[in-house]
Amino acid sequence: MSDVFGRTPMRMSRRKVFGISIAASSALALASCSDDGGSEVDIDKQSKGAMDDFAADTQFTATEPFTLSLLWTEWPEVPVKDSWTFFDEIEKRTNVKFELTTIPFSDATEKRSLLISAGDAPTVIPLIYTGDETSFVSSGAILPISDYVEHMPNFQKYVEEWDLTDMVDNLKQADGKYYMLPGLQEVSVPVFTLVIRKDVFESVAGGIPQTWDEMRDALVKIKEEYPDSKPLADGFEAQSLLNYASHAWGARAGWGFGNGMVDDGSGNLEYTAVTEGYRQMVEFFRGLVADGLVDTDSLTAANDGSGGGSVAEKFAAETVFAASGSAGTAIEFAQALNETVGEGNYEVLQIAPPGGPAGQVVEPRNFWNGFMLNSEVADSENFLATLQFLDWLYYNPEARELIRWGVLDETYTKDADGTITLKPEYSLNAYNINPDAETDIQEDLGWSNAVFADSTESRELKESYNTDTFVAYIDSVLSTRTPRDPYPPAPLDELELERSSLLATPLKDTVDTNTLRFVMGERDIAEWDDYVAELEAQGLADYVDLMNGARDRFEENS
Amino acid sequence: MRVFRAANAAALVLLCAVMLYPFITVLAQSFSSAGAIKAGQVNVWPVGFNVDTYTAVMSNGMFWRNYGNTVLYTVVGTAIAMTLTTTYAYVLSKRHLKGRNALIGIAVFTMFFNGGIVPNYVLISSLGMKNTMWAIVLPNAISVFNLLVMKSFFENLPKDLEEAAQIDGLGWYGIFARIVLPLSKAVIATMVLFYSVQYWNDWFAAFLYLDKSELFPVTLFLRNLIAGASTSASEGAAAAGTTTALVSTNIQAVTMILTVIPILCIYPFVQRYFVSGVMLGSIKG
Repeated sequence: MSDVFGRTPMRMSRRKVFGISIAASSALALASCSDDGGSEVDIDKQSKGAMDDFAADTQFTATEPFTLSLLWTEWPEVPVKDSWTFFDEIEKRTNVKFELTTIPFSDATEKRSLLISAGDAPTVIPLIYTGDETSFVSSGAILPISDYVEHMPNFQKYVEEWDLTDMVDNLKQADGKYYMLPGLQEVSVPVFTLVIRKDVFESVAGGIPQTWDEMRDALVKIKEEYPDSKPLADGFEAQSLLNYASHAWGARAGWGFGNGMVDDGSGNLEYTAVTEGYRQMVEFFRGLVADGLVDTDSLTAANDGSGGGSVAEKFAAETVFAASGSAGTAIEFAQALNETVGEGNYEVLQIAPPGGPAGQVVEPRNFWNGFMLNSEVADSENFLATLQFLDWLYYNPEARELIRWGVLDETYTKDADGTITLKPEYSLNAYNINPDAETDIQEDLGWSNAVFADSTESRELKESYNTDTFVAYIDSVLSTRTPRDPYPPAPLDELELERSSLLATPLKDTVDTNTLRFVMGERDIAEWDDYVAELEAQGLADYVDLMNGARDRFEENS
Repeated sequence: MRVFRAANAAALVLLCAVMLYPFITVLAQSFSSAGAIKAGQVNVWPVGFNVDTYTAVMSNGMFWRNYGNTVLYTVVGTAIAMTLTTTYAYVLSKRHLKGRNALIGIAVFTMFFNGGIVPNYVLISSLGMKNTMWAIVLPNAISVFNLLVMKSFFENLPKDLEEAAQIDGLGWYGIFARIVLPLSKAVIATMVLFYSVQYWNDWFAAFLYLDKSELFPVTLFLRNLIAGASTSASEGAAAAGTTTALVSTNIQAVTMILTVIPILCIYPFVQRYFVSGVMLGSIKG
């Protein structure tokens, strides 16, 4: 008793403090208002170390060496080791030395917020996904990088070449500038989609479903063949399934819910969760659940990171035949099946997300993680050189290949038609390449590290390290699906941002809870109008007006 | 009465089992094969018994480095905390001290209010303590709860002893060191336990103020290992959690066991001081 009592005060305050930290971080970002970014920058005078003739697809080498501070997220299974050649090789080629601020992956976003809020962030802040930057914009702690992209020829070249100009425009905040540069992907393929037992689908259901209706028929047939099964599952609290499925109904849901706004067809925005398409989607999955085709346990089980609800186990036990996942999940399922069904007796395949009433569309995913810069870099004498270096590191094809594979002819070889082969003495265990080799290029040498390697990829580079089945998946998506149009941007200013988060958070909670309740059959679908009324009572109209106001302003300004 | 005892015993055994079960499962997992854990076969007994995971974790240089840090932070932190808490509590226990209420007020104030995360962070970094041990051991050196327990303990020591010592020629420091402290072993042992558990378990201060993995305590190492991908609220985060190989459960279990063993071992040795330590302070004559 005394033990518990004695420690309670400390423990409580720690937990409380932690909770506050997340909430406070964005608000307190104001604390660091050293906002002078942009106004007095004279890029010609801040060009120490910069190359005069830096251009797209050329090697960047600083004319004078300099050090660049970098926020480094440390994954527990891939800690930085003394044996890493990654940093040395980058320094050798570019004269730029990284100085790391290490943050553990477990709490990386919180620590990142704290560092930025306290004005203590390193110059380069990688692993930024679109939208991550929004809360820092008003503080002035982040550099409006759009002012300086003219000095980044690789970025410009590949935005142009891969036809991403419109999407880059959508990064703009209320002030018409953008504050992060994303990693660019030549091909747009959803990372998460359905992973299926191909052999079962072909033998029992007669092929791979292309639409959700076909999927339903297939699931029914599989259920007849395997009466104990509940063939469809999602180990990500239904967030992943709803995300890639929603596009088939012209809605957005799950992970992709975002601000909840979709085009209403006339150029204005409407709230997706009250649209007809969203309702149809909910009814479709409700029907699947009612017929016992969905493993409902998996939809509600907490996600432990690998996909909760022990979906891999169920895949192995042949009670689930289709589940959400990435290429990594597919490998996990295959490993589990090896134990039960046996190697060679099954085929696991990632398929293109099925289409629906809105067509054979998928989420455009040409942006992946990129970076932001601490606004203090605008005062640095190495400012121009820093921009050139990051342009090279993030967008130069040679740099991308280096980061993925290591040093040409040392760790890998490339033949005349561009096929990359890892040398037999090296492995890349994360992708199951040469698993028996002694030195792992990721764990032991630092190549393919998750901080930089996934960001920008040409199609060729992406296909070079992925399995044949993933390459087939890329092909099937590109040949049979079209990316949906980007949502109309509606960037909010500082006050609107605050108001919108006050309105949007309870709305989204209501949507999330009730979507799942409707799907699981816990709430009668006849109560749909009541649900809409509940949203309206929570200020839906105000929120939609707010977003449309921002939308109109964006239209006028651009 | 007999029925009550039986019911009582049954309830306590049940409670004990509920408390022990997670420990035993983790222990069993630490000796099991990764495959068996994934298949959900491991319960209270290891399946596919092996010590390979122990060998693997123990050969990880960073684990031991962080382990060493934890020991260092705990020892130094506890020493500082005990010095400050005992001396502060002793001063506060003297009713004739002028400004005593103000001194108590200052301490108690911090129980209810603090500067908040970002201001604290800015303070620690401007004091130059970031990325040093001092950021971990100094900021929370005095726990007000412990301070108050100790204060009432000192208040209950017979005044006559101190007066006798005074007559024999001891000054305040002498009385404190030679009379009061030796008489306070129970409460000191209890406080040492409280503080060392606090420092041993703490990861949050290290998470805030340390940016170099070679300075991390083992709890942060452990947290990164276990809590890694549990926060996949977005596709990006989920992908980040799945693209790299996940840390298997048996490695997590081994790290947990190795981390908790030393602090677990302290308990039996100080247990006998335990109840008396806290209770003595709380009963006033």
